[in-house]
Amino acid sequence: MVAARQPRLNGRRPRWARIPAMVMLACSAWFWIAVAAFAHASLIETSPADNAVLAEAPATFSMTFSEPISPLTLRLVKPDGSSFSLEHFVLRDRTLEIELPHDLARKTHVLSWRAISEDGHPVGGSVVFSIGTPSATPPEATGKIDWPVRTAVWLAKIALYLGLFLGIGGSFAVTWLGRGERSGSLATLVLLGIGLVGGTLSVGFQGLDALAVPLGRISDLAAWQAGMNTSFGRTAIVAFLASVIAIFALAAKGGRGRPLSLATLAGTGLALALSGHAGAAEPQWLARSTVFLHGIAVAFWTGALIPLGLALERRTPTCRGMLRRFSGTIPLVLACLVVTGMLLSVVQVQKPSALFETAYGEVFLVKLALLVPVFALAAFNRWRLTKPAEHQDPSAMGRLVGSIAAETAIVVLIFGVAAAWRFTPPPRALAIAAAKPAVVHIHTDKAMANVQLSPGSAGQVEASIDLLSGDFGALNAKEVTLVLSQPSSGVESIRRPARRAAEANWRIDQIIIPLPGTWHVRVDILISDFELARLEGEADIRP
Amino acid sequence: MLKKLSLAAALVAVGSGAAIAHTTLETTEAPVGASHKAVFRVPHGCEGKPTNVVRVQIPEGVIAVKPMPKPGWTLERVTGAYANTYDYHGTPVKEGVKEVLWKGGDLRDDEYDEFVVRVYLTSDLPVGKTLYFPIVQECPAGATERWIEIPAEGQSGDDLEFPAPGLKLLEKAGGH
Repeated sequence: MVAARQPRLNGRRPRWARIPAMVMLACSAWFWIAVAAFAHASLIETSPADNAVLAEAPATFSMTFSEPISPLTLRLVKPDGSSFSLEHFVLRDRTLEIELPHDLARKTHVLSWRAISEDGHPVGGSVVFSIGTPSATPPEATGKIDWPVRTAVWLAKIALYLGLFLGIGGSFAVTWLGRGERSGSLATLVLLGIGLVGGTLSVGFQGLDALAVPLGRISDLAAWQAGMNTSFGRTAIVAFLASVIAIFALAAKGGRGRPLSLATLAGTGLALALSGHAGAAEPQWLARSTVFLHGIAVAFWTGALIPLGLALERRTPTCRGMLRRFSGTIPLVLACLVVTGMLLSVVQVQKPSALFETAYGEVFLVKLALLVPVFALAAFNRWRLTKPAEHQDPSAMGRLVGSIAAETAIVVLIFGVAAAWRFTPPPRALAIAAAKPAVVHIHTDKAMANVQLSPGSAGQVEASIDLLSGDFGALNAKEVTLVLSQPSSGVESIRRPARRAAEANWRIDQIIIPLPGTWHVRVDILISDFELARLEGEADIRP
Repeated sequence: MLKKLSLAAALVAVGSGAAIAHTTLETTEAPVGASHKAVFRVPHGCEGKPTNVVRVQIPEGVIAVKPMPKPGWTLERVTGAYANTYDYHGTPVKEGVKEVLWKGGDLRDDEYDEFVVRVYLTSDLPVGKTLYFPIVQECPAGATERWIEIPAEGQSGDDLEFPAPGLKLLEKAGGH
């Protein structure tokens, strides 16, 4: 009976647990009598105090308890998450003086303790203190550029553009402009494939970038989750679906692929409108619908280039009809492209000086410079070559093919430049992703708590706790305490009382989460003087 | 070796003494359908501060509550309607004391005291189960110590940080 009621200590079984039961039994009789007078110890004061930020590393750490205690474990968890046992300490009455190592690094440390008081009741907790400044999401991480990740994001984005514009636009051109003409189907399929791979990889790369972790972590599920959580996740899903449907549109016989390819063209517009800087600008409805139309125009125009060029080169019987239909619609499409493009540049660049002063403006100028030859070629094709080519002038047809090939090459360059926009202004979407809170939702029959730790990364965070009763009614709590612990790294409970911010919302303005990883989150809700609800869950804290 | 021994012995003490470390009941089991003298033992204050107020919540099914006055403390009772009507020696009882408060005392952290209530445990109480008496100690400057946690299914009081004192309910004496 005695052995069964030993306290459960977290983690390793201590050495003294192996002492033979005989000894224990022999001592227990005496303790049984003596214990009645004992009382339960609590930590009254520490120096440095809990949550303190110190200029210099302290030489010693002292803890004063309400009763005499003897320490069971004393561990210091360093800012990098490693921990070691503190062996040198002196007990003076109710005060424990612990000698700290001299070479403590800056940032946040946790002194995790477990002690046994005279009554034999083990008590434990954690004291958080920081040297210099508290650990936070390191600001230098955002300032430093991870070139491999950046290049990967860029290349994947170009691949996505190839799929969205040339692939989906190509399937639209083959089914609508080509009618019976199948030239360019294979090239379009390849481009759709490139787009699918690029779009999928983009999710992981965006995630790496959002988490500021190196390229080697691409196999980490967290990176993909983070990528899906950015606004790019929606773009990737729409682009993926649109590309798959475009493949079916190409494979469909007769005119049956046409509704499908029209839908995928809209998908291109939608995929682009769902993320990116332009879509995030205000007013949103205007910015997003402009991006949508701009994307559709780009896909219509650039997508037609390869199928048209190949058809003309092969001198297929239907190529003239295709050329006629293309040149008949393209003025309208280009007008849409130019108007939406101008609108977007006004929204994004705002004042002309920004063209030269910001990286975004510089990218815009490069894109504009590349558009000049593209428009020149397009105009030349339209007014000088289209008419003779329609009358099957072989030299005109040959020059038109060459000109279309050049146009396509420059268009691909423009995609490369446009993909660089991803890195130019402070990427709003990712700043939001980095600030994304860690959310824990805990529901029991007594109460329900939604805990938000923002940002959801190690360092200083703000906690917000929303309460509801178990049946979704109002819960008017008297007191709320948040208790965080991380048994895997030996961090005992860090307790912080919350203050009421609104009727059912409780906040802790500043709480330091010293380490990333999975944290045990407990919310103690004092419902009335005599009723306590204890809610437990887990939160994943990013590095 | 001596240190190891003392630690081992201390651990044993956890087994035998954990319940005594908290604010507890002196007698931990009693038959239903009978009067019972509940003695609450308060071994310490709130994190070093003295205790000024001791509040005991009377659980449903416990009636005819008679607290014992203590010199130096003002006795107060909170009364109200019960959820059910109970039979007290043939008299139906619908309302009574739901909370007992000893106020205005000064029980230092390094002192010990006992608080007594005589109650009647009605026969409606579930035999074999444990009845909990949540207790709150109030200290200066808003400090409190709340012995109000009730173990969930499968838990024991030892799993909790601040367990409410419990009384195991026994079969009514001579009830067979």
